[in-house]
Amino acid sequence: MTSANTTKINAVPTPIPKGPTTRTALRPVEQPMNKPEAPPPAHVQAADFSIYYRTTAAVRNVTLDIPRGHVTAIIGPSGCGKSTFLRAINRMNDLIPGCRATGRLQLDDQNIYGPQIDVTALRRRVGMVFQKPNPFPKSIFDNVAYGPRIHGIRRRSDLADVVESSLTKAALWDEVRDRLSQNALGLSGGQQQRLCIARALAVEPELLLMDEPTSALDPMATDHIENLIAELRGTYTIIIVTHNMQQAARVSDLTAFLYVGELIEMNATSTIFTNPKELRTQDYITGRFG
Amino acid sequence: MTAHFVTLLDELRRRSLRMASQVEDLLYEACEVVFECNQDLALRVMRRDEEIDAAEVEVEAEVIRILALYQPVGVDLRLLCTILKVNSDLERVADCAVNIAERARHDEVQELARQIPELKQLGPFVRQILRDAIQAYSTSDTDGAYRVGEQDAAIDALHGEIVRWIVANADRSPESMRAQLDILSIAKNMERIADHATNIAEDVIFLSTGEIVRHQFRS
Repeated sequence: MTSANTTKINAVPTPIPKGPTTRTALRPVEQPMNKPEAPPPAHVQAADFSIYYRTTAAVRNVTLDIPRGHVTAIIGPSGCGKSTFLRAINRMNDLIPGCRATGRLQLDDQNIYGPQIDVTALRRRVGMVFQKPNPFPKSIFDNVAYGPRIHGIRRRSDLADVVESSLTKAALWDEVRDRLSQNALGLSGGQQQRLCIARALAVEPELLLMDEPTSALDPMATDHIENLIAELRGTYTIIIVTHNMQQAARVSDLTAFLYVGELIEMNATSTIFTNPKELRTQDYITGRFG
Repeated sequence: MTAHFVTLLDELRRRSLRMASQVEDLLYEACEVVFECNQDLALRVMRRDEEIDAAEVEVEAEVIRILALYQPVGVDLRLLCTILKVNSDLERVADCAVNIAERARHDEVQELARQIPELKQLGPFVRQILRDAIQAYSTSDTDGAYRVGEQDAAIDALHGEIVRWIVANADRSPESMRAQLDILSIAKNMERIADHATNIAEDVIFLSTGEIVRHQFRS
């Protein structure tokens, strides 16, 4: 018996087309992950925004909206400008000689680089957590109370309330409630990072910037921080820069991909990680480059 | 590591396509049994099902291993999901082919089958649709996949004609009843194979475009 009429499949499969096809005969099933929704109000808006280190553009003509109460991840290879963009949001780049910004960057309707801006007030609204935990060499209590004291809270009982509330939000209270007077440098790396988050939360910011917040932590401590981000979602707008794409996929609602200073694509995280529209995004997330 | 991962994906895809080719052969042989009195061929179809079952497990295990170890995203994730789903559909096509061979190996069934013109059309039609679906899978041909899906309604119509023929020509003698039920089962299995081919076509569209187009080809 022969089976000559059957098709013999070529052993070498052809490449998968990367772009969308033109065929639109069928409507795709509405998928929650891809379903377009009315965009929530923007908390941070960039319009044609660039940052230069002297003559070199680190961020080029970026235009994007970061919605309030959501977690937005910024991903991209080293040197793509993601940390520079993040630091621009609370004017941390001002400390770098020769750094200048063009275009517009707004927090609500306030121009972050406008002449009227009070940078101290801006930084109260925009907290920041860095790659490496950087507690002050003070007690746990004093670390968290540092910001509120600067902003005028003096009564010990008021400070105690803020410290407890902030440590609770940072999921650290239960671990340190009995040793608030001990030096913060005695905490583990993961606890120190959560302490830094508590310190940032103590001045009641609206927005939290996180620059590689778990890259110096072990997997268990990383899990604590990621759970914390999930807890804080909705109450705070969070922007996280991360090299860890699985982390971006796990924790964020939206993902922006930057490459050599340009915004290549920004979309719902589930779309970016399943069906990115741009070939460069696909090549980056699948490890083909970067 | 990326180069190694890409090699693993390519090998897995080739393995899946080899399995598709085996299933296509199996269906060809099962359809031959319907009109030819060939007990050996029928037994061969039933034995070859074990090869397909083993291949299915092998592909599934490798997909799970790659998902766990590499956590792929984007087009790589879509490819692995597609391979896993196509794998399941191919195994079910093989089961349907075995059912067809089992039902068709009695002389009276083949005698009755030769009297039903629509059944003579249905076998080659279903084989063609499966072949086209596998071809679209092999080449990631979205247009080809759409063409496969658009033929599902014609298969359903042919199946309906066969049911009507049996009803219209029903013979209530016990000997004939068995053959008639077998013919209905053969036709139903062929119709199910076309459904699986349509599923494969839908998976190809997902693989190429990221769009889920499930349940829209059905008549």
